[in-house]
Amino acid sequence: MSFSVLVCDDSNMARKQVLRSLPEQLSANAQLAKNGQEAVELLRSQQFDILFLDLTMPVLDGLGVLQTLKDENITPAIFVISADIQPEMQNKVLELGAKAFMRKPVQLDILNTNLKNHGFL
Amino acid sequence: MSELNLNEDQQDCLQEIINVAMGQASDQLARFLDTFVYLKVPSIEQVSTLSLIETLSNNENSAAVVSQGFFGYEGIRGEALLVYKPKDSDRLADLLGYEPDELSVEEQIIDLSSILTTTFLNVFAKQIDNQMSYSAPRLLAGSQSAVSDHLAQQSFNWDLALKVKITYQVTDYSFNCDMILFIPELAINNIKAVIDRILEEF
Amino acid sequence: MSPNDICTDITNKINTGILIIDNQYNIVFWNRYLEIHANKKTDDVVGHNLFQVFPELPQKWLKRKVESVFQLKSQSFCSWEQRHHLFELPHTRPISTNSHFMAQNCTFLPLERKDGSDNVCILIEDVTDVCHYQTMLNKTLEELAQANRIDGLTQIFNRKHWEECLEKEFSRARRYQHGLALIMFDLDHFKLLNDTYGHLGGDLVLIETARVISSLLRLGDLFGRYGGEEFAIILPNTDIVGALDVAERIRVAISKNVINFQESEIKVTASVGVAVISEDDNRYEDLISNTDLALYDAKASGRNIVCVAKQLVET
Repeated sequence: MSFSVLVCDDSNMARKQVLRSLPEQLSANAQLAKNGQEAVELLRSQQFDILFLDLTMPVLDGLGVLQTLKDENITPAIFVISADIQPEMQNKVLELGAKAFMRKPVQLDILNTNLKNHGFL
Repeated sequence: MSELNLNEDQQDCLQEIINVAMGQASDQLARFLDTFVYLKVPSIEQVSTLSLIETLSNNENSAAVVSQGFFGYEGIRGEALLVYKPKDSDRLADLLGYEPDELSVEEQIIDLSSILTTTFLNVFAKQIDNQMSYSAPRLLAGSQSAVSDHLAQQSFNWDLALKVKITYQVTDYSFNCDMILFIPELAINNIKAVIDRILEEF
Repeated sequence: MSPNDICTDITNKINTGILIIDNQYNIVFWNRYLEIHANKKTDDVVGHNLFQVFPELPQKWLKRKVESVFQLKSQSFCSWEQRHHLFELPHTRPISTNSHFMAQNCTFLPLERKDGSDNVCILIEDVTDVCHYQTMLNKTLEELAQANRIDGLTQIFNRKHWEECLEKEFSRARRYQHGLALIMFDLDHFKLLNDTYGHLGGDLVLIETARVISSLLRLGDLFGRYGGEEFAIILPNTDIVGALDVAERIRVAISKNVINFQESEIKVTASVGVAVISEDDNRYEDLISNTDLALYDAKASGRNIVCVAKQLVET
């Protein structure tokens, strides 16, 4: 079974970091977005199973993406990967429908555990 | 004068390291202040010390400048300056949750600066496999002349500085300060080497 | 000697106080330096609560400081410039300094013990000498700065400093929507007085006038010599009614003041201009020129009189 993946982060390095940490079957056809706006536009035009989402981004930030997807009832499994690790922020993204919160730089084992927990591995 | 001359990938990598450091520093600051800290993308800028001295001496708005030295392995060392504007330094007592008569504005500004500098640089250092020690923070006299005098002495052979503009918004209080890292050439080359090492891993 | 022995040896010989506490503020360790300076017995110190052993410590402040070290796992500092000392310890300069206790720079270091518990190490350095010389230097600098602010003849603020004060008061009044009044006065026919009694006589009149007016003013009022025989007063938080009252008292006080010079009794009068800050004043200089125009009106109306700035009379 294969899943479609979108990675949204303004940092090229952070996007690569996520791609490198993903198992081959998920990273092979993953698409990339440089900010929240790009991600939302992609999500409107095609179906994604998984979204890896940064929070602190220009144009449209991660919270904005979460809110938009919620409003428009677009429902990929969202994993937030952020440098902003305050408990309040973690709660906020979970309330807005994210499946899990992971701190940057993303750790391989934590990423795999989360993917497993939600049936993607 | 030497230059950082970071290419796009190196710049991106440095930005990401700083983002992560800033994120953890804000988290610790938020826990310490028992509040939520809204974080903006920190901007990084390379400035020549000469132009920085000019900016600081011309800037009538800088109310206070706190200096703290830092030093780690492999010649990574420098001086961190935190520059506050008057309207922000007035709010520090509220921000830090002190009673008005508990301690002086000077002490508050030094405390906050020390927390910002050390938490930020600790995480920064950890990501590049380093570890920092610090000298005691000092409030450089609030007047502009004293600041530029200090810089004129200190930056004698430090051509380059890295300016990280931090904007912290703490619940109701919008609070801004600039963190400026003066880093000598050797340390800059070392940081570049570490960045390249990280990039090679990808 | 093993590295451990070396460390113990240095810890006991170093001229720095070392005190280690656990997260319950119980003292875990102190070194010989502190033992000698604090003049307490180790048995009464180690294992006891920090604030009981050293009751002089500012408990609330220190707890917050130590908490931050535990929590942030980052060192923290306290300089004598902010707090002269934390611990009441004697110093070794009882003759050459006037402070009672040792001035201290303190460093708070997070320590992670092998058993996983957290401690904080407090390093206490004697900076009494630094403090002494810096205090003397600051005093000298303050005296120099003071000399720079004062008019040598009349001992009130000189024009430069007075204008700096006005600039500050002006922006403060703007920011907080406070009142601000300005009085400027000029001694009438001062040239004639100088010609009659000579410059020594003129100087005495200036000195005496400054002295008499100073005694009339409130603590927050800022009195300066604007130039020659012209004086100026900033009245913060004052409206036109209050300012006119002060101005009239100044006019009367000067006219009643008799100055004895050699064999003569000198009498002078003053013309006084008054203005208060208004919406139209963009800069503090606007307030000065309004007051100056009122002063000019007072001169033109026959002197020894108080005049109010025109725009205030019209409204």
